[in-house]
Amino acid sequence: MFLFNYRYRLKCIFKDRQLMFWTFLFPILLATLFNLAFANITSSDNFIKVNVAVVQNEALDQNPAFTQAITGADDLFVVQNTTRAEADALLQDNQIDGIITFDPDLNMVVNQSGLNQTIIRGFLDDYVQSNATIVTVVTENPGSLENGILNGISSRSEYLTAVSASQSAPDPIVNYFYALIAMTCLYGGFLGVKEVVAIQADLSAVGARINLAPTNKLTVFISSMLAATSVQMLELMILLTFISGVLGISFGDQFGYIALTCLLGSLTGVTFGACLAAVIKKGEGIKIGILIASTMTMSFLAGMMSTDIKYLVMTKVPILGYLNPANLITDSFYALYYYNTHTQFFTDILLLCGFTLLFSTITYFVLRRQKYASL
Amino acid sequence: MQVYKAFFKIILKNRIQLMIYLVVFMVLALLLSSSYNPPQDTDFTKVKVNIAFINDDIDSPLVAGLQTYLGENANLVAIPDDTQKLQDALFFRDVEYILRVPVGFTDAMLSGSAVQLEKTTVPDSTSNIYMDLLINKYLNTANTYTTYLPGLSQTDLVAHLQEDLANATEVTMISSGTHSAYAEKSGYYFNYLSYSLFAILILGICSVMLVFNNTDLKRRNLVSPLRSANMNFQMILGNLSFAVITWLVLISASFVMYGSFMFTATGRLLLLNSFVFTLAALSISYLIGNLVKSRGAMSAVANVFALGTSFISGVFVPQALLGDNVLTIASFTPTYWYVKANNEITAAVNFNAASLTSIFTSMIVILGFAVAVLAVTLVLIKQRRLDA
Repeated sequence: MFLFNYRYRLKCIFKDRQLMFWTFLFPILLATLFNLAFANITSSDNFIKVNVAVVQNEALDQNPAFTQAITGADDLFVVQNTTRAEADALLQDNQIDGIITFDPDLNMVVNQSGLNQTIIRGFLDDYVQSNATIVTVVTENPGSLENGILNGISSRSEYLTAVSASQSAPDPIVNYFYALIAMTCLYGGFLGVKEVVAIQADLSAVGARINLAPTNKLTVFISSMLAATSVQMLELMILLTFISGVLGISFGDQFGYIALTCLLGSLTGVTFGACLAAVIKKGEGIKIGILIASTMTMSFLAGMMSTDIKYLVMTKVPILGYLNPANLITDSFYALYYYNTHTQFFTDILLLCGFTLLFSTITYFVLRRQKYASL
Repeated sequence: MQVYKAFFKIILKNRIQLMIYLVVFMVLALLLSSSYNPPQDTDFTKVKVNIAFINDDIDSPLVAGLQTYLGENANLVAIPDDTQKLQDALFFRDVEYILRVPVGFTDAMLSGSAVQLEKTTVPDSTSNIYMDLLINKYLNTANTYTTYLPGLSQTDLVAHLQEDLANATEVTMISSGTHSAYAEKSGYYFNYLSYSLFAILILGICSVMLVFNNTDLKRRNLVSPLRSANMNFQMILGNLSFAVITWLVLISASFVMYGSFMFTATGRLLLLNSFVFTLAALSISYLIGNLVKSRGAMSAVANVFALGTSFISGVFVPQALLGDNVLTIASFTPTYWYVKANNEITAAVNFNAASLTSIFTSMIVILGFAVAVLAVTLVLIKQRRLDA
């Protein structure tokens, strides 16, 4: 009976085209769209050399130290030597970020405020400030001129060593995909709803038929739920392969733990749907409506629409994060990808187990021993 | 006008489904257009990077000086010195640069021996380069003083540093005319509008067409004494009024939020553009309405179409950030041209022949979509009637 029901439930689920669309194709479509939309966002952070024009005039010729300094800063700037008129035209067309001119003092001309403009400013300030330093030092210790202060000030030491935050890059884009997977897990709730509807005598004809059969309802229900979870797990695995293989989003390399997260995510999703379907005594439309609304709210709080939301919840109301299954799933992937330790991961996983258990228990107590006077 | 009335009866039956998209739009538009503040164009303002400053050394005047200096040139964000909290802050860009001053830093600096500060950054980012520039400047200047003025006390050193580093270059800001603060915000508003408009029109028109295209009902209608031309006229009127009403509802909030700005040239062009887009969306919805066979497929198609075109056309993510291939595909949808025109309208400071030509070309392309899709639909309907 167990295997018989399992096999037929699988058939029922796979033949439900609408269900397959929402739980399987829709997430893949969303992932593709996310990828198209976000492909260039992180690279827009990347440093591209700042374009500047240096106006060639007599005042510049009187400051050879500056020419030397800006030539030395070729890791920061792409310099064009132009006349003032040419420079203005370039700035107008946004070909350059700013104009540097001696007029007769050092002056910067820009048409907007931005990080690139701030970098030019920082570099120019540096030059002016170094001059001030030389004046101060030479005034107090005239001997320093002979000791090579001019060379000393132009030879810079590097005082900074980069330490990476983690073995993985701090790339917030991955979180969108993790939240999307969390949403897919909870969309497994559609399957849970379907299974409960199919086994409740007052909700469907199939349910009435099953309740008549001389088999243990719990056995049938467990095999139904297992069928739903199997389908969900399969869909998730394909989605995961698609996201990591085709779209190239990193999940870290702890495959065992990733699979564990998928399994628990599927279980949480399917039992969540079953629990909703059991508790809400209204029609299937309302059940699905509430399922979508709650899944979307939870995915939103897990950062599917904006990663800032997840951070806000993490830092301001951490308890909300722990009560949100979508966030727990997202956070498990995040912890595996980014953290050096597993403490956070196992906390999330344990809480997911707790949610699965809670949903299952509620479903069990609602569904058991229901008797109908009339159908 | 029975047909016309029936049209809106069906729409009203589906109001909850349609309202969802209206509410989503209103929330999105309000949140995103209120949170975005365009930079002021009149004065040059330094961009301040968010950084975390962690001191493992003693609280010496030198460390305090460095911290003050960084505080003037960057935003110091207080984050507890906990590995995971710091990792989180960097990942979600609460800070873009974490500077850690090591033990023995002050002594090493004063004695002129080598010392390295630890930085944790978003690799290869512009903010990383800028902060490196600032911090190295401070420490190199300090080094110059300790090398050439060996007897300098720590307090004097910090005072000198502060004095020197207060020197700044003069900045001239060329502003190319005034740009209303509302321009950019209303651009976001109208871009988002396309998503909800598309979804609402597809859902609304599909639910009506599903009813009218039902074979039994269709046969019943065909035998009615109402002339088929009259019936078609009422249907067209119904479709048009539904589209216009949806458009009016969606643009209404823009008048509340941006007030008289909507009556300036920019505002009026935005309204015109969105109206033209409404016609294209209506035409596409009508085609989908004639193709879709079930309510389940209807919500799937509405979501795929509205979300899909919005994503690739730059509604949610600016077009400038999308890849060329994506934009090429997107240019086969009216949404792309709508967003492109919106961006040009809001970016223009004053309209000249060149910018207006480009904007109106986009609108004509959108109208072209409307006409072409409508033609396809009419052929399809004709074909079906012959087949039936």
